[in-house]
Amino acid sequence: MAITKLDADSFERNVIEGRGKCLIVFSRQNCHVCAEVVPMLEELAPELASECAFYYVDVEEQASLYKTYPLKGVPSLMFFKDGDYQGKLAGPVTEEQVREKIAAIG
Amino acid sequence: MDNLYDIIIIGGGAAGMAAGVYGGRSRLKTLIIEKGAVGGAAYSTREIANYPGFHAHVSGPALMADFRAHAEKFGVEFTRGEVRELSLEGDPKTIRLKKGPEYQAKSVVLALGTEPRLLGVPGEKEFRGMGVSYCATCDAENFTDCVVAVVGNGDAALEEAVYIAKFAAKVIVIVIHDEGIVDCNKVSAEIAFQHPRLEFVWNSSLAEIKGDEDVSSIVVKNLKTGALTETAVDGVFMYVGLLPMTGVVRDLVETDKNGYIITGDKMETSVSGVYAAGDCRQKYLRQVVTAAADGAVAAHAAGHYIEEFEEYKTMVAGSDQILLAFWSPMNEFSINAIAKAEQISAEYPGKIKLVKIDLYRKQMLARKYNVQTPGTFILLKRETACGTLSTDCYNTLESTLRAWMTR
Ligand SMILES: Cc1cc2nc3c(=O)[nH]c(=O)nc-3n(C[C@H](O)[C@H](O)[C@H](O)COP(=O)(O)OP(=O)(O)OC[C@H]3O[C@@H](n4cnc5c(N)ncnc54)[C@H](O)[C@@H]3O)c2cc1C
Repeated sequence: MAITKLDADSFERNVIEGRGKCLIVFSRQNCHVCAEVVPMLEELAPELASECAFYYVDVEEQASLYKTYPLKGVPSLMFFKDGDYQGKLAGPVTEEQVREKIAAIG
Repeated sequence: MDNLYDIIIIGGGAAGMAAGVYGGRSRLKTLIIEKGAVGGAAYSTREIANYPGFHAHVSGPALMADFRAHAEKFGVEFTRGEVRELSLEGDPKTIRLKKGPEYQAKSVVLALGTEPRLLGVPGEKEFRGMGVSYCATCDAENFTDCVVAVVGNGDAALEEAVYIAKFAAKVIVIVIHDEGIVDCNKVSAEIAFQHPRLEFVWNSSLAEIKGDEDVSSIVVKNLKTGALTETAVDGVFMYVGLLPMTGVVRDLVETDKNGYIITGDKMETSVSGVYAAGDCRQKYLRQVVTAAADGAVAAHAAGHYIEEFEEYKTMVAGSDQILLAFWSPMNEFSINAIAKAEQISAEYPGKIKLVKIDLYRKQMLARKYNVQTPGTFILLKRETACGTLSTDCYNTLESTLRAWMTR
C-alpha cells in the first residue's frame, strides 16, 4: 500500500507535528465510494510523493481519532500544511480535485 | 493474446459475479472488471433478509465475499479499473479502461448496476460528504445524537431511516405523498411508523440544503400550500431513487428513456454477443436474487453465442461464397428446399459452400441476418450478404439458386 496507515499516535507525529503538506483520507470498510477513492489516492501518491505525504485512517479502528474532527462522512480527505488544517474534500472525490487542492495549498 | 477473453464482465456486483460463476464453470476464460468495491450495491447493505437459503443473518459484504470466492474457485479473474470506452460491434470486442491495458473479448456482459439519483436541489452537490449522504451504512454513526432528515419513501428510505435512528436523536422523513402513503414494503413501513424517533413530514419535498462548511438546515416545501419551512438539521440522507450506470454504453446498446438497457429473455442486448444483467437493465424487480439470475442467464447465453460464432468462423474459413440455408425440423418445405439446394450445388462443384442452419437452435446467424422464417437462403460473398431468398415455391427456389451458382 502506497499510503501509510495512521493511528492516534502516528497521526500526532506525522500530521500535527509534521512538516510540509499532507493529506489524510478517512475511510471505512463497506463503503462503496471509499473503494473507488482510496485506490485512486494509492495510484496518485507515488507521483506526488515529493510534494505531499498521503495518509490513511480507518474510522472503525480509530473511532476516537475520527471523532476529534467534525467529519460528516466517509470518504473524507483532510489537508494539512506544517501541522495547520487547510481544508477538506468529501464524497466521490476525483483525482483532478485532489491535484488542484494540493496545488492550491501553495 | 493474453488480453483476449471469452467473456468480459463489466461490473463486479451480484449480477457480474453470478455471470462469472456460470462462465468459469463452463471453462470459459472469464474476466470481471470492477471500478470500485467488488460486491457492488450489496457491499454497503448491512443485512440481506431475502436471499433464498440465507435465512440466518447474512450481511451484504459476507454474501458478496462468498459470490467472489465461488467465481474464483472456477478460475474467474478479477481486475480493478473503470471502463471508459468500448467497441462492441464485430469480433473481438475491445474494452478500454481509464488507466491500464486494453482488453479484448469474444462476448461482453454489462453488469453495471445503478447509483443513487441526485435530487438536484441547491446545496446537494456542495455539501456531499459534509452532511449530505447517500449511504447510511457508511455515515449514520457520524450523526449520533443529531437531528437528521431522510428524503424519500421507498424501501431504502424507510429501512435506512430506522437504522439512522439508532444513532440520531431525531429523524425527519420527508415524503411527497399524503399522510400514511409510502412506497415501501408493509413490514418496514410499520416499523418506521411506530418508531418513537421518526417524525414524518407529509406532502412535502426538499427545496434546499443550507450550511457553511457543513449542513446546518434544510428548506422543506409543502406541496399543497407551497409554504417553505426552514428546519435545523445536521445531516440529510437522500433515497430518491436510482439511476443506471450505463453512460458508457448509452450510444452503443439500446436503452429506455431512463438509460436502462433493454434485453430479451436471454439477456441479449441490441448488439450481437453483448448481454446485460442485473440492476442496469430494464426489469421489474431489482434485488440480489434477480441480479444473480440475470447473470446466470447472460453467461449461459454468451457461452452459446461464442460456440456458434466459432463454428461459423470454421465454416466460412477458406470459402469465397457461402450459401446459408435456414431450416427447421418442424417446417417441411424448408427440409425439402435444403435437399433441393444440396442437389443443385452438387452440380456446380467448388462454386458455393452450402451451410445448413437449424433456425431454432442456432440463433446467432439468424439474428445477424435478421432471418425469421425457415426456408430462407442467404448468399454471402466474403461474409457480406449479397442475396436473400425467402420463398415457398420450388420453381423460384431452383431458378434463383441456379442464377447464384452461375453468377
Ligand atoms: C440500501 C439498499 C438496500 C438493499 N437491500 C436489499 C435486500 O435486502 N435484498 C436484496 O435482494 N436486494 C437489496 N438491495 C438491492 C441489491 O443491492 C441490488 O439489486 C443488487 O446488489 C444489484 O446487483 P448488480 O450486480 O446488478 O449491480 P451493482 O451491485 O450495483 O454492481 C454494479 C457494479 O458495476 C460497477 N461498475 C459500473 N460501471 C462500471 C464501469 N464503467 N467500469 C467498471 N465497473 C463499473 C460498479 O462499481 C458496481 O460495483 C438493496 C439496495 C440498496 C441500495
